[in-house]
Amino acid sequence: MIRLKRPFRVLIVEDEALLAMDIEALVEDAGHTVVGEAASLHEVEALGIEAAPDLAFVDLQLAHDTNGLDAARLIHARWAQAAVIFVTANPKKIPEDFAGAHGVIPKPFSRAGLTAALRYIEEGLSDPPPTSPIPASFIASPAFAATWDA
Amino acid sequence: MRLACAIATGAGEMMDQRDNWHLTDMVEHESGRGDPFAAAVRATRMPMIITDPRQDDNPIVFCNEAFQTLSGYDRSEIIGTNCRFLQGPDTDREKVAEVRAAIEAGTDVAVDLLNYRKDGSTFWNALYVSPVRNRDGEIEFFFASQMDVSDRVEAQERIARQKAEVEREVEARTADLKAALDDKTLLLHEVDHRVKNNLTMIGSLLRLQARGISDEDILARLNSMLERIDALASVHRRLYQSDDVTRFDAGAFALNLATDVVGASGRTEIDVKSDVAAIDISSTNASALGLVLNEIVTNAVKHGFADGRGGTLSVHAYADGDTGVIAIADDGPGFDAANTPEDGLGRVLIRRLSRQIGAQVDWSSAEPGARVTIRFPLDQGHVGAVA
Repeated sequence: MIRLKRPFRVLIVEDEALLAMDIEALVEDAGHTVVGEAASLHEVEALGIEAAPDLAFVDLQLAHDTNGLDAARLIHARWAQAAVIFVTANPKKIPEDFAGAHGVIPKPFSRAGLTAALRYIEEGLSDPPPTSPIPASFIASPAFAATWDA
Repeated sequence: MRLACAIATGAGEMMDQRDNWHLTDMVEHESGRGDPFAAAVRATRMPMIITDPRQDDNPIVFCNEAFQTLSGYDRSEIIGTNCRFLQGPDTDREKVAEVRAAIEAGTDVAVDLLNYRKDGSTFWNALYVSPVRNRDGEIEFFFASQMDVSDRVEAQERIARQKAEVEREVEARTADLKAALDDKTLLLHEVDHRVKNNLTMIGSLLRLQARGISDEDILARLNSMLERIDALASVHRRLYQSDDVTRFDAGAFALNLATDVVGASGRTEIDVKSDVAAIDISSTNASALGLVLNEIVTNAVKHGFADGRGGTLSVHAYADGDTGVIAIADDGPGFDAANTPEDGLGRVLIRRLSRQIGAQVDWSSAEPGARVTIRFPLDQGHVGAVA
């Protein structure tokens, strides 16, 4: 297991411009670098090699009738090491295996909620197991939890 | 041997008996002469016929007055014919086949048949046919009685028609209701999704706006607004995750809110202690109560645990008869004038929103700390588990 070094390279896949801006600001406030933004599956396809992320926040409902589950699969195919976190108002639509993602942050989220989730994810990726308690704003996938339970 | 003996016993000299049918034609019952059983058959109101299966096509060899009246035919038209002349286009072929099969098998049969009178009008005939056997067990005659049961059959048919009609209507209505429910559920999910998206966007807008602001006071006010929107979002989440969107558990919500507000403040030194029972309220009051609780809890975190002081925030919720009670207490410096919300809007929100839902808010000393108690009326029949 490769331990990630801070700051993380973060990709934001979100079709709502306001939310993309908001998440970008919160991610940068936490000291990470936003390396790319995409509003649809096609825009994820079009991302250059410079956008290779450590962590991707992915909305389920994307522009041009594309969806976050396909985007997550594409991200995993292009960048096998990237951790995907879904950010969605419809957590029930996420399959049981989380489509390989590390977890989900339900919308609407608060600044504190997203920041706490980000802190927990950081700990889980860089220095597992996380020492912070899991925040109410984050649901970790069984596979993510298994990386430090093993 | 006479007719009645043939029916009652099936015994007698067969050839004689067959001839006796004609003899008894002459019997007049009023006079009391002749065979009284034959007279009874002739005079009864029950239409009756006798057929002779030994003759070609099993013709009718006897019919009484009542049968002539029922069918509208004269005896001369009836005798010597097969009784299928009573059938018509709407007679049930299966029932006719049933009668034929019974005659061929030599057994009894009882069926309701639609028959036709001479004038073409119809009647429901409760037909009963039974074989009359001689002492050797051979079938000598068939005896058939008829009864006009049109009223009964029509009543049954009417009831069956009405029942089918009602069932059709119920089915159609159920399908309508099911479709309406499906539409409603779909609409509810769509609205839920939009409300969540809008709440998320409102939060994002306020956060983005807050970024450029250096004035501490304005920033604090913006953050208060964000907390209120988060409280509304929590109410919404709780409502739409429950099975019944018309009811709202204020007790569980109060604890949820306290945990969220403390968590959002990043103040890990503050413990949340709870003693919370379900308090079921109408969802129409949920947002107002949620905002009041938010003001109380954020105020407690700001003032009860000022300057980074750690401690315990306790949430106590229970139903007291028809009153819901939620108490939020800190173990801080205690109640004084400075401990009530200093944000003017916060105070106004508590006063106006609690009045809106008929709630009463009291500040008191918790020794140590301050306690805020909110009491609100519960509508009858919806009180949750009492602590």
